[in-house]
Amino acid sequence: MTLKHIYISVIAVVIIALTTLQNDKSKETYSLKTEVAPVFAGDVIILEFSSNSNNMVQLYCSNSYGSVLLSPDIENKVLKFHIPESIAKKSGVLNWQLITATNPLEGKIIVKPKPSIKTIESYLGPPSIEAGGTDYTMLVVIPTDDLDNPLADSTKVQVKHQFLDNQANDLIFTKNGFAYKNIYSYQPSGRILISSESLGLSSKEYDVNVMPAIPTDFSIEAQRIHDYADSNQITTFETSILKDRFNNVISDGTFVNFYITDKNGNKTVTSGASINGIAKSKILHPDHEDQWTVKAYIEGMANSDSITLDYKQAVSDFEVAFSEGNRIINVGPLQSFMNQKIPDGLVVKLKVYTNDNIIDELSQESYNGYVKFKLNEDRFSATKYNFVIETAGITKSYNNITYE
Amino acid sequence: MSSINKNILRGVILLIYIVIMALVIYGIAAIFSYLNTGADRSTMLHTEIKQVDQYLPEFNWEPLNNEGRPMDQQTLKAIEDDYLDAWYVKYISYKTNTKTGIEDYYTKSARLNIFNIIDQNTTSQTTIEGTSLAHNPNLEFFSEDGQMVVITDKDVIEYKRIYKGDKFITEINEISTYKVTLLLEDGFWRIRHLVKSKSDFYYPKSSDNTFLVNNIKGINYYPKDTPWDIYGKNFDAFVISKDFEIIKNAGLNSVRLFVPYEDFGKSNVKIDKLKRLSKVLDIAESKNLKVLVTLFDFYGDYSVLDWTLNQKHVKIIINHIKNHKALMGWDIKNEPNLDFESRGKGLVQAWLDKMIDLVKFNDPNHPITIGWSNKENANLLADKLDFISFHYYEDLEKLSDSYTSLKSKIKDKPIVITEFGMSSYDGIWNPTGNSEKDQANYHKAIQDIFTANKIQFMSWTLYDFEKIPKEVVGRLPWRQNVQKHFGFIDKNGAKKASYKYISSSK
Repeated sequence: MTLKHIYISVIAVVIIALTTLQNDKSKETYSLKTEVAPVFAGDVIILEFSSNSNNMVQLYCSNSYGSVLLSPDIENKVLKFHIPESIAKKSGVLNWQLITATNPLEGKIIVKPKPSIKTIESYLGPPSIEAGGTDYTMLVVIPTDDLDNPLADSTKVQVKHQFLDNQANDLIFTKNGFAYKNIYSYQPSGRILISSESLGLSSKEYDVNVMPAIPTDFSIEAQRIHDYADSNQITTFETSILKDRFNNVISDGTFVNFYITDKNGNKTVTSGASINGIAKSKILHPDHEDQWTVKAYIEGMANSDSITLDYKQAVSDFEVAFSEGNRIINVGPLQSFMNQKIPDGLVVKLKVYTNDNIIDELSQESYNGYVKFKLNEDRFSATKYNFVIETAGITKSYNNITYE
Repeated sequence: MSSINKNILRGVILLIYIVIMALVIYGIAAIFSYLNTGADRSTMLHTEIKQVDQYLPEFNWEPLNNEGRPMDQQTLKAIEDDYLDAWYVKYISYKTNTKTGIEDYYTKSARLNIFNIIDQNTTSQTTIEGTSLAHNPNLEFFSEDGQMVVITDKDVIEYKRIYKGDKFITEINEISTYKVTLLLEDGFWRIRHLVKSKSDFYYPKSSDNTFLVNNIKGINYYPKDTPWDIYGKNFDAFVISKDFEIIKNAGLNSVRLFVPYEDFGKSNVKIDKLKRLSKVLDIAESKNLKVLVTLFDFYGDYSVLDWTLNQKHVKIIINHIKNHKALMGWDIKNEPNLDFESRGKGLVQAWLDKMIDLVKFNDPNHPITIGWSNKENANLLADKLDFISFHYYEDLEKLSDSYTSLKSKIKDKPIVITEFGMSSYDGIWNPTGNSEKDQANYHKAIQDIFTANKIQFMSWTLYDFEKIPKEVVGRLPWRQNVQKHFGFIDKNGAKKASYKYISSSK
């Protein structure tokens, strides 16, 4: 507070003419000696009363937050009440009442917030908004003085923001102690920088991310080494660059589901998250001839067209050899499209029947082009069995194999 | 002979042994079951927090028309709850000069203002018992991110009692407008800024209505079998109807009824009790009887922070029956001056004063009185009441003079004696008591005094009772038995000698 302020504060407590004292001894009388004009928060406030007695009376005093009881300094039948700083520093109406039995005096002092600013309390939210000009973020500012009082209404606040080549400067005025400004997004995504200024004091810089809006429909493609159903190579699905309707590349991490429908109508799903607008996802080739229809979805927002993929049969045939009393069944060699041994891991299934009842189903992955099943005596007792062997979409049956 | 004695002795010892063992086992079992009672698992996650009504001032949102984000009812309720809690903890802090709870409802910088005042008041040994009785908030603004609201709370009525040490200094009534900024922090709506933009002292007006309260000839009524519990489970409209018929035929024109505070559910008034109260009024109307309803029976707290609950209670009761044709008027409280000693005369009077305003505000169309227990206190708050009532169980010879002197003090208001009577109990607990004949003579005499002085009256009571709840006069049999025999009709339904003098002879 400058010297000038202190001066003004003391002047604010203007002492006006003494009211005539009554000399009625039987009755205590009090009258206000000072008239108090509106003061600024933090000013020294002294209430003086003249009285015809030196009796102790008390002063009730309340501000925005609470109430206190004050005792006077009495000097020459003049009662002086110093309003404590903790009370006088809050803006609002300050009520007082002199508590006397005979004539209670009361009044109020308007405590105004200081005209100078100390801080700009700013609240900005939401912190990210959608591109396109319909979504907005809101800046709320509460300019306060150094005693934490909101400044008087109609205080001017400048709200500035910058986005790409745009720079804007808006004037707003406080009402009910605060002012607010809605800042709308632009069509491009990016980052808006926001600050405010009031009575020469600038706030710090705030930023708001303008996120791309929801994606629009897109296309997909598939990449693969070859088109054989070898159950070994991988097909990769990839989206086109995903964009919103303002041509902004959508945010990284947007989740895309690729739905695969095979010849029989079975569905498989694989998924990926976008990076730089492209989402990729991979899946193993089928092990038998098939036709896949693939369509991608960003759930609830957009989808692709569908594409069709054909897979050719890789394994054309295989041999089966029984040995050791038919208890060892050797499947293979399993040969792929160039008659090379099929890479390890092709699944071969062996179904065991007695009569028409299936009693077991064994499954093994190929190794070095071969699969070997051993049928244990304890599990498969001596009787007649029918075997069905399936792999790469090919089925072979061997009936009436006898175990002893 | 000696063997019989021995056997008796053995039997006694055995019996004592069994009793001791039973007590020991019972004791161990009690300890064991006590140690086995742990916290209820459902309380572990604090999922079920029971909201206790502790602060319920009038609270009326103005229609929503705020700037910024549209408000939803759930958030509005959350704001209302936290905002009222903020007021509540503030008043508790100023009452006790402690800081507990303030940090939940005021932001870091706002709470300093309250702490400063608490420090100031601690130094000057000032305590303030206060409450706010009405809020009329208008939602000015709700920020887009849902983290901040600005409210203008208009015409907040605050009442404060200021004490220095133990000494009561003054009471203050203020009506103010606050501008409030609240922030959502840690799930609490906390007050960030509070600015009192308008404030005035105000002095509730005294009664200037004049009501015609004349020719009351009444009786205090409880049913014979359910005294002090008319509206309970054993409510029987048929019994009440028959009793009101008796009262009507006895030449009386009114009854005085009581609304027990806790029994009616305090701030959360029970609807079935209300319905029964209405039913009693309906019966009274059908028998052409008027009803003086005594509010706040069996209430004794009076503390300022309890007032918002009283306010809610009284508002519900009044609004439920204020348009009933049988309603004659309101008796704020039965014999409140009996609480002067334990609760402080000033506090009880301030409470009554506030309740008169409240009843008047909710129902300006019926006269208000307070059922003072003696004539000495009957002039208290007289300027705010529409008619004066007191209870008279003293010497009949002094009645005439007492009444005349009171009448000379309170010239412009009707005075009614709303309780008087004599017990006809002269049994074993009080052999020097009065007989039924004495009772009859008493009523004959008092009716003569009433007629001579044109005193309006309501006697105590229609029936002798068989059971008196311990809350009324305690458990002592010499008190209970006296209280049981005030009736004009005995517990078998036979009219006692006094019945002849139940009303004045025209």
